[in-house]
Amino acid sequence: MSYCGPVTLTHTDRQVDQPRAQPPRFVRADGPDKVTGSGRYTADLSLTGMLAAKFRYADISHGRITKLDTTAARAMPGVFAVLTQADVPDVRFGPFVADRTLFAKDFVRFEGEIVAAVAAATPEIAAAAAAAIVVEYEPLPVITDLEAALAADSALVHEGWAAYGQADPVVRDRNDASFSSITKGDVEAGMAEADHIVTSRYVADGCHAAPIEPRAVVAQWEGNKVTIWTSTQVPFDARAGVCETLELPANRVRIIVPHLGGGFGGKCGFHYEAHIAALARAAKRPVRLLFSRREEFLAPDRRREGMIIDITTGVRNDGTITARTGWVALDNGAYTADAGFFPQLVAMHVAGPYRIPNVHVAAHLVYTNLQPSGSVRAPTAPQACWALESHTDEVAKVLGMDPLAFRKLNAVDTGAVGPSGQTFGEIGVQRCLDQATALVGYGEPLPDDEAIGIAIGWWPSFSVPSGAYIKLDGDGSGQIITGAQECGTGAVMTLRQLAADELGMDPEDFQLIYQDTSVAPYDMGATGSQTLFNNGRAVVAAAGQIAEQLRNLAAEHLEAASADIVLANGHAHVNGTPATTVSIVELAGIASGGELLIGHGSGTPPPAPLLVGSSCVGDLGMAAFVAPQFSCHAVRVRLDRDTGVVRVLEVGAAHDSGTIINEVGAVGQVEGGVMMGVGQALTEGTLYDDQARQRNAGLLEYKLQTCADAPVIRTHFVQIVTPDAGPRGAKGLAEAPNVATAAAIANAIAKLVGQPIRQLPMTAERVWGVMQS
Amino acid sequence: MNVPLKIAVDLNVNGTDYPVTIDQGRNLVSVIRGEIGLTGTKEGCDDCECGACMVLLDGQPVNSCSYLAVQARGRRITTIEGVMNGDELHPLQRNLLEAGGVQCGFCTPGMIMSATALLDRNPTPTEEEIRIGLSGNLCRCTGYAKIVAAVQTTAAGL
Amino acid sequence: MSFTIATSIADAIAVMAEGARPVAGGSDLVVGARHGKAPLPEFMVAIDRISELADVTVDGSTLRIGALVTHATLMAHPLIGNDYSGLADASALVGSPSTRNVGTIGGNVMNASPAMDTGAPLLVLGATVELTSIRGSREIPLGELWTGPGRTSALPDELCTAVLLPHRAANAGSAYVRLEYRRAMEIAVVGAAASVLLASNGTIASVDVALTAVAPTIIRVDGIEALAGLSIADAATAIAEIASEQASPISDVRASDRYRRHCVGVMARRALEAAARRAGGESIAIPVNRALGIGAAR
Repeated sequence: MSYCGPVTLTHTDRQVDQPRAQPPRFVRADGPDKVTGSGRYTADLSLTGMLAAKFRYADISHGRITKLDTTAARAMPGVFAVLTQADVPDVRFGPFVADRTLFAKDFVRFEGEIVAAVAAATPEIAAAAAAAIVVEYEPLPVITDLEAALAADSALVHEGWAAYGQADPVVRDRNDASFSSITKGDVEAGMAEADHIVTSRYVADGCHAAPIEPRAVVAQWEGNKVTIWTSTQVPFDARAGVCETLELPANRVRIIVPHLGGGFGGKCGFHYEAHIAALARAAKRPVRLLFSRREEFLAPDRRREGMIIDITTGVRNDGTITARTGWVALDNGAYTADAGFFPQLVAMHVAGPYRIPNVHVAAHLVYTNLQPSGSVRAPTAPQACWALESHTDEVAKVLGMDPLAFRKLNAVDTGAVGPSGQTFGEIGVQRCLDQATALVGYGEPLPDDEAIGIAIGWWPSFSVPSGAYIKLDGDGSGQIITGAQECGTGAVMTLRQLAADELGMDPEDFQLIYQDTSVAPYDMGATGSQTLFNNGRAVVAAAGQIAEQLRNLAAEHLEAASADIVLANGHAHVNGTPATTVSIVELAGIASGGELLIGHGSGTPPPAPLLVGSSCVGDLGMAAFVAPQFSCHAVRVRLDRDTGVVRVLEVGAAHDSGTIINEVGAVGQVEGGVMMGVGQALTEGTLYDDQARQRNAGLLEYKLQTCADAPVIRTHFVQIVTPDAGPRGAKGLAEAPNVATAAAIANAIAKLVGQPIRQLPMTAERVWGVMQS
Repeated sequence: MNVPLKIAVDLNVNGTDYPVTIDQGRNLVSVIRGEIGLTGTKEGCDDCECGACMVLLDGQPVNSCSYLAVQARGRRITTIEGVMNGDELHPLQRNLLEAGGVQCGFCTPGMIMSATALLDRNPTPTEEEIRIGLSGNLCRCTGYAKIVAAVQTTAAGL
Repeated sequence: MSFTIATSIADAIAVMAEGARPVAGGSDLVVGARHGKAPLPEFMVAIDRISELADVTVDGSTLRIGALVTHATLMAHPLIGNDYSGLADASALVGSPSTRNVGTIGGNVMNASPAMDTGAPLLVLGATVELTSIRGSREIPLGELWTGPGRTSALPDELCTAVLLPHRAANAGSAYVRLEYRRAMEIAVVGAAASVLLASNGTIASVDVALTAVAPTIIRVDGIEALAGLSIADAATAIAEIASEQASPISDVRASDRYRRHCVGVMARRALEAAARRAGGESIAIPVNRALGIGAAR
């Protein structure tokens, strides 16, 4: 009955990194919906009487509102509601710093800030009404320079910053919305021991998650309850935002996510659900918001942040690192979304997965008049890894060491102490180095316009609460009712396999009921690579309860002790006598006349590891990596020396993400993450004019990689059953493949050019510019 | 006052004639989704830059976001809803599922339209021909490898 | 407001005389209208069903390309691939497979974008444009059609009915290359087309080069008669410098003027080399960009 079967890794298996000859077949439960066009996404929904929403944006980057008049817009035929901040509760919100209001209040601080919203009979009328709103500004200085913004006399993005509420551990001052540092040992003494000290500065431009589905939200009130269909990655977070800003209890707000057309972090957080709910309440009609691609670029508070990164490393002649210091300024944008914890996270990535006795890294999250930053796939890591790993190759070059040998010498390993004082259990970073380089033939001769660069990266698993229910109905078919959110990765789809394995059933015996906050228990959502890690634990626990019920029923039926009952292949049998058997379908039928088969699960999130010998300022829990994931990417590129155009030809990606439960899905995550990294490395960067307005807010000028650009990607999983991890020793996976690609590409380019490209993305013109210098 | 001109046309979608009365400036995707009610065709950019809205016109892939609906009169329009053979998945649909070429699924309908047109025109494409043939369809999830593999498997089975 | 469906040139030019704007595929118009460039015209005439505009024919020594011939047809047409390779190179690079199915040579030429890929090869191949109105037809050289970005010397009631290309000698070759940051869905950052006639000793007999996206219109490189008699390698080196000098590029979101000026020289050199190799009888697959791995690496 089961075609996948449980993956049980023995100690011997751990030494064998080769994938099985026949990987398990995985056909996603939502697949038929998606390949036939019958699956509905939010933009596909329409309700009787539904109106169209349009926003009026600031269009300028910093100003004081001197006039806001909606009279003409309200008077237009077909307009049902026009809202500004005056029409909603006066709530300032934000998960780390409460610096944001639903609509602009007195000031606008970036071009995509919402000043007003309109609901009207058609999108055309709504757009005309939004344009008819009169708003005038007194311009204020536009702040974009991160270092200047940190100066004591800099103009402020938020005049009233000191009065804002905040999460307790956040350390902030003026334009510095969140400061964090990690200190271990004595860096001065460490630098004094060094034979060489290498200092580098790198600058990363901001970029975008750019899911192919633009955002959509539909809201409908019935009585005092609202249902919101929305393209969010985090339905419970979206609900919390609606509840906070519209002052509603959670049980009157229902968030339903139809199929979600990708997110990559861009659809994390709370975005427009409350605006549309407020419009629908005012208009007394359902209201739908559909974003254009341009809005998708300009408005969301989820840009990948730009950074300035300074790194200094001291090394001995024998290649060992004695000390590292780092300083990072991250571009927060105009408001603090979930970027509050980024300074500590980026400090970890600037320190890196290396054995360094003396470390001091400090990072500032700096307000600017740009679009807010927020979690985009492995937030802070691709940029910081790019900087650190480029710097690492600079250090190796000073020593005359091969980049692989230098990393083998200094990278952490099982039992080693990391830069923040965490002692690692069994980890696979050294094996990732070996495997990734082997995948692309590192060290073999290449044409003179080609080179291979390598980089290593790391990423935490996120240990958070999560819940699920499972029920088996009288016909033996099952339903998994989970708070988890599927954004394409297949993580929710894989839950069927976990439940089926617990119950000796087939994944296809289960349907998934998910993405509905009024039906399922809490889950953090499709964020932090956490679905399988945490909701997998919940599903296993819920299935365990039903397994117990089934064993008891079977024990009675087969006249055996329940401890001796084995569930396998759709049947219960007595251990050792497989012929003495009863089908689960039959047991479910029996249960339907008595105690129903219902399981619920949550489980205990694994604890954070201890840190020894380090101290943290602005500690938001990011300095201790639960079930840390490691990776090495080795990338072969070709450079057109006349133009600076770089093509990525081949990528070897080796990952330690613990046990791989769904190999088809896991390889897909690596290939997709690598491809995103190629784009970040070469073509994806936001350009601004001198008034901080985006110049390339479209897919022609903001260039995602096409099918014709995609390199060969070879994937290898170093599978280590990790204690204190997710089900069966699995760690997270969806973000890790996005960490090291741009860095490895950078090191390949640097080999060809003779020096690193110090700005990301490494566009053709920038590469050419470095070759001219 | 600039009153849009309404034009009555029959549009043939997946073998069925749909009489619709539409503004002359309406793009084809909005008519397929809004008037005819087939929402499998997606909108990702409205500018020929992502391929999510791909449909076939007389067998040729066309970005329906940037094509006037009235121009499609008298032509065979095929959308993702017209790809299945009766109740059976088209081999490409099945192969995409088995290869793992579907993640969020938002690009998938457009990708399938481009790929089926490619295979109709060229049943034995090289990998490079597949990659160029699908180059107008952006996918942010997969890195394309499993999509290309599914097209190759489909071609091998033809 | 009106929308007329024309099935003959006569139908189309009759309503154009009354102010209708022609629309074939309509991508430029539809996208332009949505992005606020220009509202959709109130009076439109659909010309996509005029079968007499859809053919590639040989008319004596002239190749006649009907205005409705698509990029997809041009890139695969044997007559064009063999004798007018530069035009096939350019057609194969336009947008994506779907935009190549819809985009027509007539629409492209009349759109007068300085970044259009087909423009430079058409210039060096000596193209003329046939414009038809109720007053009759006239032919003008392409260089006289474009007066600025998006502007032409055609009168509002004139329909582009064909692009005409003169006969090519056996010792002629042409090519178009462009700078691209990715291998598809690109618009030329800069580009260059070259047409080369080789002398029997393998030196350059004559050469024509035109440049894409470095001036308000596509421009022809002037004063390169002196390249005659040079070896291919010397001519290629020389053209890079001359092309860079004659370019007057702008800085925009795609590139700086300085980088464009440099790269257009590189593209001119590569176009000349490829055209010369083709003139010498070598077969280089369409499009040159991918065949030679310029911006390609497979």
